[in-house]
Amino acid sequence: MSTKTSFESPLCNIKVLEVAQGVAGPHCGRLMAAMGAEVIKVELPSLGDWSRSIGPFLKEDNTSETSALFLYNNTNKQSITIDWRTHKGKKLLAEMVEEADIIITDWDVETRERHSLPKRIFGNPDHNAIHLSITPFGLTGPYARYKSTPIIQLALGGYLYLTGEENREPLMLPGYQPDYLAGLNGHNAVQIALWDREKTGQGSFLDMSIIETLVTLHQFTFEMYTYEGYVRKRHGNLWQKESSMANYGITTIPCSDGHICFGVATEDQWERLCLMLDREDLLSNPAFETRNDRRNQATYLDKVITDWVGNKTRHEVLLETSDIWGLPTSPVLSLDEIMDDTQFKSRDFFNNVEHPIAGNAIHPSFPFVSKYITPKLAPAPTLGQHNHLYKRLRAQND
Amino acid sequence: MINASPEPSLKGIRILDLTRVWAGPLTTRIFGDYGAEIIKISDPRVPLVMDNGLNNKLNRNKNNVGLRLDKPEGRSIFLDLVQISDIVIENFRPRVMRNLELTYEDLNELNPNIIMCSMPGFGLTGPYSEYPAFGTTAEALAGLPYLTGYDSKTPISTGIAYGDPISGLNAVGVLMAALRQKSKHGIGQHLDIALAASPVCNLGEYFVARSAGQPEPINNGNKSESMSPHGVYPTKGIDNWIAITVENSNQWIALSKTIATGKLTLPEFTDITIRKEKESLIDEEISAWTSKRHGRHVMQILQNVGVPAGIVSSNKDMLNDPHLDQRDIFITLEEQHYGPKKYDAQSIPGNYTPKSEWYPIRDVGQNSEFTLRKLLGYSSTLCKILQEKEIVLFQPQLI
Repeated sequence: MSTKTSFESPLCNIKVLEVAQGVAGPHCGRLMAAMGAEVIKVELPSLGDWSRSIGPFLKEDNTSETSALFLYNNTNKQSITIDWRTHKGKKLLAEMVEEADIIITDWDVETRERHSLPKRIFGNPDHNAIHLSITPFGLTGPYARYKSTPIIQLALGGYLYLTGEENREPLMLPGYQPDYLAGLNGHNAVQIALWDREKTGQGSFLDMSIIETLVTLHQFTFEMYTYEGYVRKRHGNLWQKESSMANYGITTIPCSDGHICFGVATEDQWERLCLMLDREDLLSNPAFETRNDRRNQATYLDKVITDWVGNKTRHEVLLETSDIWGLPTSPVLSLDEIMDDTQFKSRDFFNNVEHPIAGNAIHPSFPFVSKYITPKLAPAPTLGQHNHLYKRLRAQND
Repeated sequence: MINASPEPSLKGIRILDLTRVWAGPLTTRIFGDYGAEIIKISDPRVPLVMDNGLNNKLNRNKNNVGLRLDKPEGRSIFLDLVQISDIVIENFRPRVMRNLELTYEDLNELNPNIIMCSMPGFGLTGPYSEYPAFGTTAEALAGLPYLTGYDSKTPISTGIAYGDPISGLNAVGVLMAALRQKSKHGIGQHLDIALAASPVCNLGEYFVARSAGQPEPINNGNKSESMSPHGVYPTKGIDNWIAITVENSNQWIALSKTIATGKLTLPEFTDITIRKEKESLIDEEISAWTSKRHGRHVMQILQNVGVPAGIVSSNKDMLNDPHLDQRDIFITLEEQHYGPKKYDAQSIPGNYTPKSEWYPIRDVGQNSEFTLRKLLGYSSTLCKILQEKEIVLFQPQLI
């Protein structure tokens, strides 16, 4: 990735204090750091961010510096240690906040009460900082004290019910998807609040909820119920069967070396699929006339495509479907294959990051390409690595 | 939570929106909710407002102009709009904008400050750049189905076309960053956001670990390596489930005391390694207990003793959820053709347009007259000619 840019990074001169652990808050901080903000991560002394203790670790020894989850979400940041649970620590934190534009916290209602953390801990009420709070349920409402993990958030946010086979239990998504989505949304919230502050001079307190982020990221889930009265179901690798949304819209087909995902959403794509399969007869067959009909014939159509694929590899199918027939398809790739994929490679999407303790690892960069927004990838900080830069922290440790 | 501010945060920003389906319209919905002026350009020949509500929610708070971009006069109207806009956003395959002669270079010539955001499936460059894509196919390239499944043999797609919502969110932050550079330095730029790249960034730890020599992960349904039990369990009714997880021994003690069958109260079960060994037995006991009870009741009982639990909500469950209701995450809009309809509102907290001022999806061409007459200063005679030539659709028709 090029680091040369003739203009300042979008968030240069913006100072962020990240008092958050795990994924949601830190991922938000990662994005702001990528945009050029100075992100100071505040961690508890000796404990550090809890994601430091989550495996897999890149090295057996010194695990707190080699967690893949921590290393990924904390690139381009500084780390300082403050015990914000103590009176002295709160005072230190409040002083740091005075110099910050943005503060990110992930203290839920219970944590706030247990450690006497009021909504605004920051002395000067005129200070126009933007305070982003990211918690699973938000700071108000009947579930504000509920405990959750990613699968619980996927459940209450409506993603879990929609993934998996129809006659089996709903299936979770990998890793920390709700946190990542909230981190992205948190970045959006801060960017918008900064724009507002430029105009009005006003700071703000933003109560972001992970569950609500998921609830607002459904394409037509609610409309199936509010317009047509259907509960939206899960259908494995197939598209909806119920309601007027019914269609043979997507499917996943085995190839000689794995699987490939097909999209057949439009009438035009259906026609081209039939031509490709050399099954023009289906176009005039009344059993395949409507989208609903085709959905009912999904098992048959899957078999026709599977036979057509025969011994072809995923890549051979991708080339034929995409290049010749203009059908949206994509191979199901493994982690190794993704890092080795010609498309990602040609866009320099993966970057090596060398960490002084964890060593080398490949990181995804950022999901955008632009001439003037060209983030670098500096390794995640070790715990308290930047304490020496702050005089008041040196005093704390004396 | 929301500051008393004189106007919504993004008022004054004008966006030309050529996006369709999901990822792009989600991006511009967020801008629209926050007060930006969204001019959605629709092909007059293609219906937008559908009886099943497909496009309705994502296109609220947007004005609609029905315009034939493939006709020279239509293109020229679009270019007039480009000159008074901040952002042009599209999610076609790259060749579409080239064929319309509406590339970034074309737009930049007329408005050097313009920000263009393209959201193609695989990006504007690279060997797959011209390939068509959906959110669901894009997520396959990104590893989602590879890491999702009851076992490692059969990959399962997410039920939500994951490439779309992530890219839609991504585009907002990147566009805001570009707007910031525009206002500080007077520069425009072209943003290239690949549908297939966004989900990869939500799986970063997997790539970091794998590239450093860790094994490829194994799919095992809803199981977790660090938590046990961890999964979904049936509750009373048809296809009703509750997700339950235990993060530590305190939560385990609370769960086993609550379920209170002899099999679960063994003292060695406070050790997670023992629980992992006996996971199927433990899951059976939990299922036997949950299946006799209503999901919401189980959630409440378990949450009351500090065990993470949540019902697996369907669309209907979410629409009736007391927490979501109290948090005001839904809004009822009066649709022009369908009466009042309940939709998810805005999850980005801040100074968005007061909900009482939100408006539903507009018909194709409903704002053509305002846009051409007021924003571009076209005469009514010219507008009538454009209507007759079927370049612009005016809704209602000009007479």
